[in-house]
Amino acid sequence: MTLLRVDNLRVRFPTEQGEVEVVKGLSFDLGRERLGIVGESGSGKSMTGRALMGLIARPGQVSADRLEFDGMDLRALPERDWRRLRGARMSMVMQDPKFSLNPVIRIGEQIGEALQFHRRMPARARKQAVLDVLAAVRIDDPERAYRLYPHEVSGGMGQRVMIAMMVVLEPDLMIADEPTSALDVSVRATVLEILDDLVRRRGMGLILISHDLDMVARWCDRILVMYAGKVVEECAAGRLHEATHPYTRGLLASVPQLSETRRRLPVLDRAAIGAKVGART
Amino acid sequence: MILSLPSRDWLLSDDPETRMQARLGQAYRLARALMRNPLAMFGLAIILSLLVVAALAPWLAPYSPLDGNLQNRLRPPSSAHWMGTDELGRDILSRVIFGARITLFIVVLVAIISAPLGLLIGAVSGYFGGWIDRILMGLTDIFLSMPRLILALAFVAALGPGIENAVIAIAITAWPVYARIARAETLTFRNAEFIAAVQMQGASHTRIITRHVIPLCLSSTIVRVTLDMAGIILTAAGLGFLGLGAQPPLPEWGAMISRGRAFILDQWWVATMPGFAIVIVSLGFCLFGDGLRDVLDPKGKSK
Amino acid sequence: MIEIENLTVAFGGTPVVHGVSFSVARGESFALVGESGSGKSTILKAIAGQAPDWTGSIRIGGEALRRWRDRAFVRRVQMVFQDPYGSLHPRRSVDDTLSEPLAVHGIVGQDARVLAMLDAVGLSRRFRFRLPHQLSGGQRQRVAIARALMLEPEVLLLDEPTSALDVSVQAEILNLLADLREARGLTYLLVTHDLPIVSFLCDRLGVLRRGRLEEVSEVTLLKSGHLQSDYGTELVTRSAGH
Repeated sequence: MTLLRVDNLRVRFPTEQGEVEVVKGLSFDLGRERLGIVGESGSGKSMTGRALMGLIARPGQVSADRLEFDGMDLRALPERDWRRLRGARMSMVMQDPKFSLNPVIRIGEQIGEALQFHRRMPARARKQAVLDVLAAVRIDDPERAYRLYPHEVSGGMGQRVMIAMMVVLEPDLMIADEPTSALDVSVRATVLEILDDLVRRRGMGLILISHDLDMVARWCDRILVMYAGKVVEECAAGRLHEATHPYTRGLLASVPQLSETRRRLPVLDRAAIGAKVGART
Repeated sequence: MILSLPSRDWLLSDDPETRMQARLGQAYRLARALMRNPLAMFGLAIILSLLVVAALAPWLAPYSPLDGNLQNRLRPPSSAHWMGTDELGRDILSRVIFGARITLFIVVLVAIISAPLGLLIGAVSGYFGGWIDRILMGLTDIFLSMPRLILALAFVAALGPGIENAVIAIAITAWPVYARIARAETLTFRNAEFIAAVQMQGASHTRIITRHVIPLCLSSTIVRVTLDMAGIILTAAGLGFLGLGAQPPLPEWGAMISRGRAFILDQWWVATMPGFAIVIVSLGFCLFGDGLRDVLDPKGKSK
Repeated sequence: MIEIENLTVAFGGTPVVHGVSFSVARGESFALVGESGSGKSTILKAIAGQAPDWTGSIRIGGEALRRWRDRAFVRRVQMVFQDPYGSLHPRRSVDDTLSEPLAVHGIVGQDARVLAMLDAVGLSRRFRFRLPHQLSGGQRQRVAIARALMLEPEVLLLDEPTSALDVSVQAEILNLLADLREARGLTYLLVTHDLPIVSFLCDRLGVLRRGRLEEVSEVTLLKSGHLQSDYGTELVTRSAGH
């Protein structure tokens, strides 16, 4: 079943030099699968994530021929309806738990807040639901974590708390925007495993946004490669090495390998790619 | 060589070719951002008016601020005396106009004395940390904890009344705030890599503080000084009101209010007119300072 | 060129590096790898003078280091920092940043040197008077490298120089670093958690674990996928797996 239908999504921002389009006509469908959106800074990938969650505030403008979530038209949705969707049916995990968790509220309470807003539950049931979800993200001592403040936990654990907060209401769609970039290299795999596990078990749709091509290839079913606001490549994750677009091939070639023998790494020819994509330099 | 006014494109160019072009371009961008704020522009207009009035006082004032006609005392505002006359028959408008000079004098002197002093102490304190920080901040705390007017009073009592002493007194109570601000600002980037980089080039502490630390503290200090102007004016007026600032017959606004106290019920204009002047000028500084802050220190400093 | 013997560094009272010894020959490129918290950056900081609480011996070009870095030292050893956003003064143009080291040491001919350096790091001359916020991450890092080279040092300390950069930009910077080393005969001490970069840019590497040096090996060994120590090999496997 198709969770998300996006057709010709455009995101615009006014600047001193005139209007700038940061997402230029993005189209894709998403079912209960894992989709990766890969791009470098300025590719528009984060803006896409935010547009899907209705988080682009004025003066930014979002437009699309079609933007549907589970049959619902998101384009002109009033804020009140967005609030009912967010957290409950679609949620977003952001990059740095240092900044995405409220530092003055205990972890248990923060996660409970989402439950409180969307569902009526007696306090005890709510606490149990929070403890359950903390266990689901493999936190060793949920009772203890419940009472901690965000600054008292490590980065990896903070991110797991964030994920817990975003899955406690069992949404259908999860958008993860650079979920591991702010974490130590050693904990990244664990966090991604947990995310992946949850997504599979609960049958959620996942959009994983990242600049790390390898990571996305490993953890997703399908990949969209973005450059300067447009999608330049769409392929199944397993077939990334068969990619055809010069940007994707360039990216793949320019990463150093463990058994590296090249004296110099191939560098992207941005002029050629820009011309091909039809982007403004 | 033909000298032409720099064009907008030249100023906004992303690739300036000379240092001068880059600096002018930056200044231009700032000015344009400021101009988009109508309240700030209004505030600036008031400040500029103050400057103009102070500069052109002898030509703008219809009468002498010091000579009065006792037969004309306490006249209400009329076409001959727009703001009426005071208890010695002097034209209040002329006194207000000349009073602008005194206000400007006080405000500028206090700013010139207290801001650089506070800035330096705060920057040094934040940069070195450790016991230097503790000593300097302790000192700052001592001065901060004193109520401004009372310290000014004590000072003036010791040195005698007069504008110059009032200025020194106010300056002494004003610098601690700038020290605190400069220190807080310094702490935000004290451990940033660009400071480490300059240290690694072998720059002396003096060089780092003067050329790298202080320039980053300037904007918040400038904004704070502008916003403080209102407070300084009011403190000076307060001292004047108590008879400790400018001495008669100088037309200092606060002193004028003080002498008008006695007639406030029947001849309200004697106290109120200088009061309006104070309010309007303070407002001007506040509005401009706010606008300046929005432009110089937007949320989320440029990455 | 660099000789470290029994280096122990404490940060805020707690020892973070314990008795590390290794040496780097002139013209060699040596990497310190390990997880976060392993102390690799701390060693760099100790050499640079940013971590004053150390014991042991550090020698550069045969001369022992003292506490505060003197002028002679900074003309031999320079550092490129990790974060291109934080390592440039936000209010100073590229020209200012590059002229600063020259001004500090009273070196004349600033104009010519700045222009020559911009060319050497592949930055267009039109960027000369731009401010950091008008440059991209890759461009800023080029400025940082240029700045480090203004005093013509023999040794470059590199602290995760590309980890904050986009993938495509990383390749350019790595190439630049390789070019510069060849052209100027520089000695590199590189800290990174990214093993493939070591394969590309370095000759030997040292593996750090919780402040202790587990092994020192040739990069050829790394390329084969198997290091001498178990921990080292584990790092390699994890790197390939992820």
